[in-house]
Amino acid sequence: MIAWLIRRLLVATGVTVVVVALVFFLVNAVGDPAVATLGPNAGPEQIADFERKNGLDEPVLQQFASYLGVVPCVRDASPVAAEGGHCGLLQGDFGESFSHNEPVSTVIAHRLPRTLLLGVVAMIFELIFGLGVGILAAVRRNTWIDTGLMALAFLGISLPSFVTGPLFLSWFGFRFGWFPLGGYGVDFWDHVYHSILPAFTLAIIGAATYARVMRGELVETLRSDFVRTAAAKGLPPSRVVGHAIRNALLPVVTLFGLSLPLLVAGAIITEKIFGWPGMGSLAIESIVNLDAPTVMGVVVVFAIAVQVGNLLADVAVALLDPRVRVEKSG
Amino acid sequence: MHRRYERLGCAALALLGAAGSIAFAFFLPDPPEAPRWVGAGAQTPQVGGTFVFHHEANVRSLDPHVAYDELSGMAIRLMFDGLLDYDHESNLVPSLAEAMPAVSEDGRTFRFRLRRGVRFHPMAGHPEGRELVAEDVRWSMLRLMSQDVGSPGYPFYASIEGADAYHEGNADDVAGIRVIDRYTIELQLKEADQTFLNAMAMPFAYPVPRENYEHWGDEVKFHPVGTGPFVFEAWERGVQLTFVRNERYWREKPGPERMLYLENIGRELAAQRFRNGDIDSIHRQSPSDYRFFKTSEAWRPYMVEEPRGSTYGLGFNCEMAPFDDVHVRRAIAFALDREGWSRARAGRLLPASQLLPPSIPGYDPELPTRQVFDLERAREEMRLAGHPDGLPEPITVWITGQDDTSRQYGELLQSDLARIGIDVRLRFVSFAVYLTESGKPNTVPAFFTGWNLDFPDPSNFLFLFDQKSIHPEHSENRSFYRNPEVDRLLAEGKSERDRERRLGLYRQANEIVARDAPWAFLYYTLTMELWQPYVRNYDPHPVWSEDYREVWLDLPRERVARSLAGVGGPVPARFYPMGALR
Repeated sequence: MIAWLIRRLLVATGVTVVVVALVFFLVNAVGDPAVATLGPNAGPEQIADFERKNGLDEPVLQQFASYLGVVPCVRDASPVAAEGGHCGLLQGDFGESFSHNEPVSTVIAHRLPRTLLLGVVAMIFELIFGLGVGILAAVRRNTWIDTGLMALAFLGISLPSFVTGPLFLSWFGFRFGWFPLGGYGVDFWDHVYHSILPAFTLAIIGAATYARVMRGELVETLRSDFVRTAAAKGLPPSRVVGHAIRNALLPVVTLFGLSLPLLVAGAIITEKIFGWPGMGSLAIESIVNLDAPTVMGVVVVFAIAVQVGNLLADVAVALLDPRVRVEKSG
Repeated sequence: MHRRYERLGCAALALLGAAGSIAFAFFLPDPPEAPRWVGAGAQTPQVGGTFVFHHEANVRSLDPHVAYDELSGMAIRLMFDGLLDYDHESNLVPSLAEAMPAVSEDGRTFRFRLRRGVRFHPMAGHPEGRELVAEDVRWSMLRLMSQDVGSPGYPFYASIEGADAYHEGNADDVAGIRVIDRYTIELQLKEADQTFLNAMAMPFAYPVPRENYEHWGDEVKFHPVGTGPFVFEAWERGVQLTFVRNERYWREKPGPERMLYLENIGRELAAQRFRNGDIDSIHRQSPSDYRFFKTSEAWRPYMVEEPRGSTYGLGFNCEMAPFDDVHVRRAIAFALDREGWSRARAGRLLPASQLLPPSIPGYDPELPTRQVFDLERAREEMRLAGHPDGLPEPITVWITGQDDTSRQYGELLQSDLARIGIDVRLRFVSFAVYLTESGKPNTVPAFFTGWNLDFPDPSNFLFLFDQKSIHPEHSENRSFYRNPEVDRLLAEGKSERDRERRLGLYRQANEIVARDAPWAFLYYTLTMELWQPYVRNYDPHPVWSEDYREVWLDLPRERVARSLAGVGGPVPARFYPMGALR
């Protein structure tokens, strides 16, 4: 298990580095960040100043090595540059945002908790509605309740957030006035209140997916021999279903693990629609402004989130299912 | 039997769904068609209340030396004042200076006298604030010119004697900035430049207190201290900024007790909040919201639609074929049906005939060389260019963005130019790519482009066609247009002290540029601004975007009865603090 975990961690690190490299070179190929930041009437001297301060005048490979922190810092504006120190990811330095005029880590520190809040509320909705609907449909399988719920789930999967978001805002925010019209609020419970509509929007597709997976798996499990044996031994139906649910949860756990990165990265469109000031809207804004350090910072966080999510899913499945554990350790 | 029940159940479910949808649609309240709230009817300025406004992106910095974007400018102007400012006719007027500066005979030296008794906001070490003096102006200008700060505004002040040496670190002081006494400061330029005074009205030149910067270091951008009508209170990054009324303001005291600036609120959201009465003014609308407000009788008294100080057009690289031929450029300029473009955009564009927009001195509606839609003249120009049947090869036009508006503009261009036998290929690129590549020689043949004023002077537009603005890379003159006559007129205009003569020189340059068509001018944008009935004394400023410094709120506001203004729907439940602000 330990060896497997180490192997898995090494792979995750490798994937993260590859993603970071790809995005770094892509961002550099898109356009000149100095021109994008300083605007159309920046003179050549100003652009040269900006490039020198941010190390953009160095070869792109050297910039990348400096960004990773394996060669001395190329950003003249960095306090460690003068002494030949390092200022990259290995030193925990994400660089300085071009458009926010402050360290990328500070910008992300402001945004990440907001996105996490939105993600957690969305995940709660997903689990409550998704698993609830899935279990109910499976228990009442092949009835009109099952058909109706699965039709609803199908509708949920088919509706993207750029359709549901504006509709919910218009109906429940603007016209009924039950929820705030976007924004973030001013204190914790206000943040939670503001998050309900965007989180619900975000949760629809996930809940629908959980519902379909849960139903399918539970129907299958309810047909299996051990359930039949349990029922034949006279266990009350609720306990039989309880046993079945525990076994049917395995793919749901995998799905849950895979959707963990959505806590961080999944809300780009929804955040924009609802004016939620999190990582998603930061990503869009940074890309538009060609704010390369912030784009990179966001990508690093997203990449790490994806790897951690996958890892947690694997570990959880291994813990829940002894067969997987045996296979992996062997 | 079981299947029959199942079918019946499904049918009942479908019916239930349909009935539910109909019931939902029936009970869904209508959106408000008219203002929900009106003022109390006060006739004199009132003190109190919170004025709420927004922008769809995020404020970048509250340091006036660094910020160069519209959003940050909206916040900065609440907290700071300049030595000079603009009135509502775009004229330069004294602000922190007690009068317009005395100008030396040679036009190179400007002597400013500061108002006495103007105080900075409270700050560390000065809980009551302290008086603004000439040394503050000097220190602030030195800071903005230092290379370490990297102010994007530096080029506007590079004409001060000794600025280069200081900027490059070869001098400890700027020779051309001299403090004469506690309230007098003198600025000397390398050569006479009458446009320089505009730079002294820009936010980059707003005086700041040195000790505040020394106290906060890099964090100073989150602790701004100025002399303006509002004092900074808080900034929750990406969410909102708040400012409170400056009780010691040197000019007429501001009205609202507090200003709340919401960041990151998109235009659709903002329009809905505005119609609910949760935002007090909006200035950008989606096409559907624009149509709603444009046709709304109820909102008409609280709306203004005016051209902004910006010009948009199709730029040509005059060094690249076929645009090195003035007749081809002129043919295109005459072939563009600008009225048609305006109609296609629901009237949101004002057809442009020349570089200078209507709000800029020097604009001439009767300009003899103005560019207008005239298909016959366009065909005649194509004949003169030797292409009576059109161009043999398609032209490539760069266009920024991939949104519906960009596509629509591209299609309109293709349709207009097809009439004179020019086939257009569109190349969609990002704004950053456009800026980078179009500044290089012989790279981008034709491109959609535009210019938004830095200050309301014709020179701020015409410099785009000055040869001095051509560089090996990063040229501001992206047309690579070279005309010694235009260069001469611009140079003379810069040093001419007589305003009328200056404007005369710029008019001539404007006329030549319209004739030579380095750009085919397309449109000036129209901006629709709306405010709530209880917001008073809001007069959109021709230079500053969303300048709310002089508003006051006619409170308490009252909910408009449904029957009076045709407002639909119940009063929204206001659980959230937005509603509790009034």
